[in-house]
Amino acid sequence: MSGGKGGRSNTETTMPKFAETALQQGIGMATDMSALGYTPYYGPDVAAFSPQQQAAFEGTNQMADAFGMPSGSGQQYMPQAQTFEGGIQGYSSAPAFEQSVDQLAMQRPGQADYLESFSIDPMTGTPGSRAGINQPVALEMQGGRRGK
Amino acid sequence: MGAAANPNMSMAVPQGGATPTTPNTYQRASMANLGALQTYANPGAAAANMMNPYENQVVQQTLRDVGQQALKAQNVLGAQAQSAGAFGGSRHGIAEAEMAKNYTQQMADQAARMRQTGYNQAMGNAFTAAQGLQGAGQQAFNMGQAINQQQMQQGAMQQAAMQSLIDAAKNQYQGYTRAPQAGLAAMFGGAGLTDATKGSSSTFQPGLMDYLTTAASTFYGMGR
Repeated sequence: MSGGKGGRSNTETTMPKFAETALQQGIGMATDMSALGYTPYYGPDVAAFSPQQQAAFEGTNQMADAFGMPSGSGQQYMPQAQTFEGGIQGYSSAPAFEQSVDQLAMQRPGQADYLESFSIDPMTGTPGSRAGINQPVALEMQGGRRGK
Repeated sequence: MGAAANPNMSMAVPQGGATPTTPNTYQRASMANLGALQTYANPGAAAANMMNPYENQVVQQTLRDVGQQALKAQNVLGAQAQSAGAFGGSRHGIAEAEMAKNYTQQMADQAARMRQTGYNQAMGNAFTAAQGLQGAGQQAFNMGQAINQQQMQQGAMQQAAMQSLIDAAKNQYQGYTRAPQAGLAAMFGGAGLTDATKGSSSTFQPGLMDYLTTAASTFYGMGR
């Protein structure tokens, strides 16, 4: 640090320009991404029972019926399976998820609004009021110790 | 295999809740079981159903045969009595009565024996039939269960394959929606935005003593 009377040495840790640029870009990306919000999955979650399984279920019902025992004959327990692209048959949790979100908005609207204010409007893509990009910035802190 | 080759095939219950017109394998097993139970509960009634429908005819024919023999014997007895000059006498009468009694007893014995044998036979047949019903019912039940289990196993395999497809699609979707995070991670991790990218630079500002020292060194060097 000191180089004798009047002399002075100084060592500064710096970052290469390419790295600083990338860091700034990364922070920008992270800020935008933080507003993305949850992306629900609307596809199938659980595979539907196959025709063979349904035949086996029916066989078990017939067995119980034949011996005068209680059975599930003619009763529908599982919801109607959906057919998705590619012939996939299954059940999706999306309707139950949507219902839960709607229920939250109905029963706890303040909390639901607050939750959604951190992310973009899923319909328009407009960032919410509390999204990272809309957060207030203390300007005097920018640029480090010497305002660079 | 022809459609009519296996009668069980025509008894298959149609899918979709259609009313079966013929009993399925479990219904047959249940009916067989019930039939066997009824036999064990009331074997007499079951035996009555097993009686030889021609038994009466056989017994009657036997009685007629014995009657014919009795008639012939009566004729022989009459002839003998006549040749002995005793026809119509008291001894002839006694002999005839004795003979009639013997033949009647014989007819009764034969009929009773035949009917007893017939009943025993019917009872045995009833129990044999009940055992057969039990076996056939058990077989039908086992066959149904074996098919049921096969269907369940194969169906589970099919469902597992379908579930794998779904899981693969979900994984792809997650990869798609998490692509930005992955990009960011690659940027900070893969591109090396770490301490290694930090550098350091040193600067030195000389003071008075530094200048004097430099000058003295220079002067001393020139003097040599």
